[in-house]
Amino acid sequence: MNTYRVNRHRMGTYVRWVLPVFVIVAFFLTGLPARSAPSTPGPVLVGRVSDREGRPVEGARVTLWAGERVVGEAETQADGSFTLPLSSPPLVDAHLHVERAHYHSVRVPLPEEKLRGGRAGEALLVGDIRLERRRTPAFWATLLIFLLMLALIASGRLHNTMAALVGTSLIFLVSYLGRLILPDLFIFDFEDAVHFIDWEVIFLIMGMMIYIAIVERTGIFQWLAFAAYRLARGRAWLLLPILMAITGVASAFLDNVTTMLLMAPISVEIALALNMNPLALLVPEVMASNVMGVSTLIGTPTNILIASYAHITFDEFIVHLTPGVLLAFTGLVIYSEVVYWNDLKAAALLSPELVQTLAEHAHITDPVALRKAGWIGAGMLLLFVLGEQIHIVPAVTALIGATALLLWVRLDIEEMIEAVDWTTLVFFMSLFIVIGAVREVGIIDTVAQAIGKFVGTNLTLAMLTVMWSGAIFSAVVDNIPFTAAMLPVVGSLTAHIPGAESKALYYCLSVGAAMGGNGTLIGASPNLVTAGIAERAGYPITYTYFLKRGLPALIITVSLAGLWLLFHFR
Amino acid sequence: MPGIVCAIRGGPRSERTIEEAIELARRTGEPLYFLYVVNLDFLSHSASSRVHTLSEDMREMGEFILASAKAKARRKGVDAHTVVRQGRVADEILRLGKEVGAHYIIIGRPREGHEDNVFEETALSEFERRVREELGAQLITVREEGK
Repeated sequence: MNTYRVNRHRMGTYVRWVLPVFVIVAFFLTGLPARSAPSTPGPVLVGRVSDREGRPVEGARVTLWAGERVVGEAETQADGSFTLPLSSPPLVDAHLHVERAHYHSVRVPLPEEKLRGGRAGEALLVGDIRLERRRTPAFWATLLIFLLMLALIASGRLHNTMAALVGTSLIFLVSYLGRLILPDLFIFDFEDAVHFIDWEVIFLIMGMMIYIAIVERTGIFQWLAFAAYRLARGRAWLLLPILMAITGVASAFLDNVTTMLLMAPISVEIALALNMNPLALLVPEVMASNVMGVSTLIGTPTNILIASYAHITFDEFIVHLTPGVLLAFTGLVIYSEVVYWNDLKAAALLSPELVQTLAEHAHITDPVALRKAGWIGAGMLLLFVLGEQIHIVPAVTALIGATALLLWVRLDIEEMIEAVDWTTLVFFMSLFIVIGAVREVGIIDTVAQAIGKFVGTNLTLAMLTVMWSGAIFSAVVDNIPFTAAMLPVVGSLTAHIPGAESKALYYCLSVGAAMGGNGTLIGASPNLVTAGIAERAGYPITYTYFLKRGLPALIITVSLAGLWLLFHFR
Repeated sequence: MPGIVCAIRGGPRSERTIEEAIELARRTGEPLYFLYVVNLDFLSHSASSRVHTLSEDMREMGEFILASAKAKARRKGVDAHTVVRQGRVADEILRLGKEVGAHYIIIGRPREGHEDNVFEETALSEFERRVREELGAQLITVREEGK
């Protein structure tokens, strides 16, 4: 026991200090100077390198040859462009050699007359140079590592963060050591890898974590749950939709795991006071949490990923997604009432003593902090909504709000560090690097081409495919890596399918990825957390139990939200 | 005065364990202690950093579960005590057993192979040995029923 505690303590110290340092170092590493175009006083050769789909290829090495002599070198920028200075004597037998890892190299002859007579500052255009993807051994190695990471997360053999770190380390091992054996095992170097980390996502999640950490200490959830109990006056059929609504609204603004951590124990107490099976409240609540989290940009990590990638604003999520989510929620409430009707009907107050105990547990513990969090939360909401007009990204709003609340509540620095779930932030950073490798070697392009062939230019078919594949995959694998991997695929489809510029496919991915979590017990982290709490109360939720109730819920909610999206974007 | 420690988790499967403990307390006249152990190991793979968030709420949930057992004991004329602890189940049972000088330790034993078993067969034998050697007490396992 003592050894166990000491280890836990050491682990706690490690998490408290090492992980924050890890996050900060990574942040500054991404600030390394980007490759810049050389300054060129003379005439210049300008061109662009793109892939078969016409997307820019960054980081391609462009070499200008004159006969057997190299006369200039450049690297393509993020938009695929390159600029090469031209030497003053006329170039004879000139050509460009363009090469990049994971692509076939090309040789582009440059006609002599094109290069003749260039004046200082004049740009001679080469035009678009197309590179074809090449499936290297790195492709298969990365695919294996990605699947291994998903399997480790799904099996629960390792902590999610540990699984992602293992994936990242293997990627670097293959890239750095593997290429010594076989050059084609090169994936990317460290400098390129850290540029795949999306800091907007990291800071938004961190800001919201700090805010939530303060709100959760106030006892507001327990108070709300008990208020629901009093409002329903012991009528469980009425209590259920109220608790689902509280859980759902909370999940739209806070993370779903925290919402269920706070709602589940008090819900168990309410159910026991009513002499009913707590699962009749807990399972619908966690499903409501998974469904309603989709309604806002900050409701789920998958929405945060989608918003950052596709530049979708807080208001756009509300306009395009919230009505569909409310429709799905209504369907879920009706479904839950039907499924649990016998339990709800049989509920009856057990004893006044238990209600008294319940009341003692359900009080606001820190009204001052709650009031302050309320004001700051309202301000943050306003900034989220107005963000686009005043050019403030959600990450900045979350960070400002969290800092303001920390200063106002006067939480000390130790408590603040404990409030942030650093393991989750490291999980995201590691995940971004693994997904970056998946993109780099062309796996995403391969998947996008396969889906593109299937859906053609049919937007409705593409929407249904993205939404239902998202729902099915998210029911069996962690929806965060799935969404992160699917985003470039959806980006590619959006660029090619007429009408998809409305970003309809991104909303479909959001619905599928989040609501798909209701399909199985392992489909979403809140499900597992709720099952853990229920089991500790003597009411285990088995995989089969959840599947029987969750799968129909998945079909109902995804169908209803999907109907809205098809109607809205038709 | 020595006592009886009855560790429970709540739920329909604990009913028989609670009843056995109440019956034993009535028969022997020894004080009865209902114990609930908060164990948050299930958060280790998905939300390890949230242990601090949940531990107080789980403690309160444990108190609630024990309050219901206590009420049942009172209805049968037994005045039971309730104790909530946090940590490893076996360690906390033994700790309380030592504190109260328990003669009997009563725990539920779910159906074989069921996923919510607290003690596997080997762990149960080891626990029984520790109860005997460290407390000089008798371990009573009650086969739990229910779905």
